[in-house]
Amino acid sequence: MSAQQERIVATAVVPLDFTYNYRVGQYVERYIKGLGQKKIMGVKCPGDASVIVPPRKYCGRCNEIMNEWVEVGPEGTIENFTIAHVNLNKGVVEKADTEYIVALVKLDGATSLLPAKVLGVSPVDVEVGMRVKAVFKDPVEDSLEDLSHFEPAG
Amino acid sequence: MQRDIAIVAQAQVMTDSLDIPRERMLFDLVKGLFDKVGITRHDIDGFVLNSNDFEVGHTIANVFEDTPCGAYMKDETHVEADGMWAAQYTTMRLLSGNYDTALVVGNSSGASTFRPYLVMDYQLNPTYDRQLGILNELSTAALQARAYMAKYGAEEDDFNEIAARLLRNAALNPYAVRSKADATAGDVLASDYLYEPLRQLACYPFTDGACAMILASGKRAKELTDKPVWIKGMGNSVDTYYVGERDLATSKSARMAGERAYKLAGISNPAKQIDVAEVSAKFAYQEPIISEALGLFKEGSAGKVASKGLADLGGSMPVCPSGGGLGAYVFTANGLVRVAECVRQLKGEAGEAQVSGAKTALAHSQDGFCAQHNGVMVLSTEEG
Repeated sequence: MSAQQERIVATAVVPLDFTYNYRVGQYVERYIKGLGQKKIMGVKCPGDASVIVPPRKYCGRCNEIMNEWVEVGPEGTIENFTIAHVNLNKGVVEKADTEYIVALVKLDGATSLLPAKVLGVSPVDVEVGMRVKAVFKDPVEDSLEDLSHFEPAG
Repeated sequence: MQRDIAIVAQAQVMTDSLDIPRERMLFDLVKGLFDKVGITRHDIDGFVLNSNDFEVGHTIANVFEDTPCGAYMKDETHVEADGMWAAQYTTMRLLSGNYDTALVVGNSSGASTFRPYLVMDYQLNPTYDRQLGILNELSTAALQARAYMAKYGAEEDDFNEIAARLLRNAALNPYAVRSKADATAGDVLASDYLYEPLRQLACYPFTDGACAMILASGKRAKELTDKPVWIKGMGNSVDTYYVGERDLATSKSARMAGERAYKLAGISNPAKQIDVAEVSAKFAYQEPIISEALGLFKEGSAGKVASKGLADLGGSMPVCPSGGGLGAYVFTANGLVRVAECVRQLKGEAGEAQVSGAKTALAHSQDGFCAQHNGVMVLSTEEG
């Protein structure tokens, strides 16, 4: 490569500006309806009995349709977490104003872990095994964001 | 395998800035490789190109790659996943008996054209994870690192030691875009946290680059080179996308990919039978997870491997003498580069990073969040 020998006089900046419209599917729609009632719904696999949140129709392991709806949470346990020092904004790393906690939460009754933000506890005090509870938006808006975050239980 | 297939030669180019247009990078690389081997594009029966539409920014990314790679009017196809899959498909084409000579070329411009972290954002499930903005390449990686630490009692310092070793090795690699000859764990510790325990120097550097390789049937390979590198086995395995449903501390799919490759290659004790390994790790912490899954080290042994220098150049099982993904990470072609690095080792062309007497090498590739999809190729200096 010989960048030094060549003076770059033009670069083409090419934005792609378009929108994809997805049907989220009946499972995520039902999940959102549940959140609108401040309930967290999962689905159970008839094959290996795992309870998956957020719900989806197909179990990869069993190649079965998961069709039994189960209410889980609203409390759970932090199984894993990281303390974020940055945000990713369209792929660019930006320093976060304050450090925050991103956790994998095992909701009571669920098998899978739910990625979530945890507020109301300092990043130095958070630990695996900590009990947390879901905090919903008030009023709810029938959207995924209705499940706002988790905070320490009790 | 049912037919002897060998890698004839490899070529690489890497940079960390917008130096030259993609087409010229590919033309110079591939033409240079043809010249080195003493053939022209007319000697190639099949072309497999590897790049990512989303990253390149137009559908059928290879449209403008065919011509500089010499594929005009040729039998050509394209692979979007990591470049090792392109190498595996190329091998399968040769195994079919319908091709005798093939070219595989992977490229990416993650340093200049597009942001790799954004490519990963657009791998997220669009109707859920992408809506919430909690998961991204760095947060998922940090959670995987934490999972390994929690399961095996590993320390952040173990990962910093791995990163330092890779940065030192990268200083011996002419293709590396980031290196530090005297790197220590302290240097890594002094770099900023992104998501704990990920520190900047333990993450892959954005890289523009390409890798090209000529493969051939046994007879043809021996006509083209004195040192064919034989493909003894290959395998791959894909885990679930959902990080909340995986044991992130281990890689079942890397283990299965390895087992499939080892079975073909007749390898029963990888730690003994493999002389050098090139593992695709985007972050230092991934190296122990993957190399342990591949049977190169005992499960959960990152601390011991680092303190005893087992994976060092002079260690019992050298891993990434090239510096691996921490020296340069050609997004979408990193696994192909790992194969190329094994070729350099087995041809005795690795210079100061040469593992003396290396006869059998392992190359690994990954794709997806937390290495969801894994591929393995086993290469050897010995035919048959």
